[in-house]
Amino acid sequence: MIRVQTEDVDIGALVAAAKQPGTGAVVVFDGIVRDDDITEMELEAYGDVAVAEMEKIATEATQQFRLLHVDIIHRIGLLSIGENILIIIVSAGHRPEAYAGSRYIIEELKKRVPVWKKELTRDGGRWVPGEHGHGAGKPRH
Amino acid sequence: MTVKVRFFARFRELLGTDILTEPEKEESLIALVRNIARKNKEGYDALFDEHGRFREFVIVMRNGKRIEHEDAQAIRVADGDEIAVFPPVAGG
Repeated sequence: MIRVQTEDVDIGALVAAAKQPGTGAVVVFDGIVRDDDITEMELEAYGDVAVAEMEKIATEATQQFRLLHVDIIHRIGLLSIGENILIIIVSAGHRPEAYAGSRYIIEELKKRVPVWKKELTRDGGRWVPGEHGHGAGKPRH
Repeated sequence: MTVKVRFFARFRELLGTDILTEPEKEESLIALVRNIARKNKEGYDALFDEHGRFREFVIVMRNGKRIEHEDAQAIRVADGDEIAVFPPVAGG
């Protein structure tokens, strides 16, 4: 399941579904809203492009690390402290591939997928700066 | 001819989004975005430098494909195009 959505997900159900035949390890990454003296976090995505880029990353990770299953769910909208932002679930035959595949997905997502976060505070808000020079993949010729 | 221009994050706050515009025939992509951005000086200055070039960190897409800044002058927008302009991504 590769999605950008407002709703939360049932991580337990996703883990159960990730246990494909041959699975020896499932790795769950759950990025949550941290209490950095904020009231809420607002997330925004370029929806279709974000999902397409996440699907590419999932395919790359599956091929490079022999993953058996990948879920990436990025939430958007207004989220409170402690809520899930990003859930990545991967399964593989062995833990090195599962850990490496999960790590690859989060690092590529942060570089390439068009999503933005605004930290809302009592005084207003501030956009979380992206990494300069990165975003939504390199130009394609 | 209708083209949709979408701004995201801080650029959206300054300039709006999902802007439907009817560009001049043979209008370049960068000219189209400049014309829309001129309605808000802060928004224009966020996107363009003093020479009217996209600032280095600004990301531009045409129909979901990223384009290089140096091509934005040569590219002519076409009917049905969707142009997206946004700051560096910060998801995860």
